[in-house]
Amino acid sequence: MNDPYKMLGVSSSATLDEIKKAYRKLAKSLHPDLNPGNKESEKKFKEVSHAFDLIGTAEARAKFDRGETDDQQRQKYEEHSQRQKQNSFYDSQQSYGRYSSSFGEGFDGEELFSSIFGGGRRRGSSQMKTAGADELYQLEVEFREAALGAEKIITLPNGKKLQVKIPAGVEDGKKLRFKGLGGSGHGNGPAGDAYVQIHIKRLEGFTRKGVDIETEVAVSIFEAITGGEIEVPTIDGVVMMKIPSGVCTGTKLRIKGKGMGQGDSRGNQIVKLKIVLPKNIDPDLAESIKNLQHKFDYNPRNV
Amino acid sequence: MNIPLRKKLEESSESCGVPCEMIIHFIEAEWISPIDREHRMLDDEDEARVKLIWELREDFGVNDEAMPIILHLLDQLNFFHWKIKQSIL
Repeated sequence: MNDPYKMLGVSSSATLDEIKKAYRKLAKSLHPDLNPGNKESEKKFKEVSHAFDLIGTAEARAKFDRGETDDQQRQKYEEHSQRQKQNSFYDSQQSYGRYSSSFGEGFDGEELFSSIFGGGRRRGSSQMKTAGADELYQLEVEFREAALGAEKIITLPNGKKLQVKIPAGVEDGKKLRFKGLGGSGHGNGPAGDAYVQIHIKRLEGFTRKGVDIETEVAVSIFEAITGGEIEVPTIDGVVMMKIPSGVCTGTKLRIKGKGMGQGDSRGNQIVKLKIVLPKNIDPDLAESIKNLQHKFDYNPRNV
Repeated sequence: MNIPLRKKLEESSESCGVPCEMIIHFIEAEWISPIDREHRMLDDEDEARVKLIWELREDFGVNDEAMPIILHLLDQLNFFHWKIKQSIL
């Protein structure tokens, strides 16, 4: 057995306080939890701890100084050795122990580790099985494609081609999900999902109102008064629409089934009329209107 | 699957060389979360932590105020150590 005084680096005349201070100083530098995996410091720590057991209290020290190595002391030494054979707390936590893992709950270590190790990090542990990241892509579609539905093929950054089926009547900003086509998982973890966000391009003259499409169509004063049939653009092409007599600017007419969507669920086109005068008023026209005014004048603010 | 060996408080006290009342104090301070809290039974991990706390108190003079900070830092350290080991294996 080594001399405990030497072990602790104190003289045999040192006070108990000095012994304790010396022990603490050594223990701080040798403790296995502060030197994880260092077997040499672990061994020294055991020796230093035992040395302190022998001379750390007045009673134990007196016995040691008297040269007593009685059964009790031997037993104490054996118990001490036995205890030291048990794992340190550090060792107990090296298989993702309960205490250290509770620290990891809710902690996005993966992100941190990715930023530290980047793409060069080696993998291989089944315990590091993590799902791949979701990826978001943007896709611009024509108004007509959004209204009637379409199929588009986009190429992902990794070279994979993705067939995107745009549902008829899709909302602007809608994210379409493609399961398992996102980032690759780590250690056999599942791949993330790819999301394609739809951005609908504007189409001059067409405004979406839910499932309906609103358009504005110009009519002449004659068409407004007498009614008639006019050409109206729709997303399916030009159609003829009947106008009743006596319509005003702002009158709304409905063309059934020319809105967003497909089949029975398809919306309507709302046609808003706007009475437009000729660019240049012919003097004859002005004269004729004046004559008509004498005969048919009315107060439009009091109709 | 290995079920961790659970010991009664008295057995753990003997095995760790730490008085029962101190272990109870550690549990009440929430420095130890016994594997079986209801029956106050400890497993190897709990025992290793009991010994660590005991050494920090008795040998290093760590007081009750500083103890949770040190334990939290050690838990962090062990977590990162484990993570790093896993990532380079």
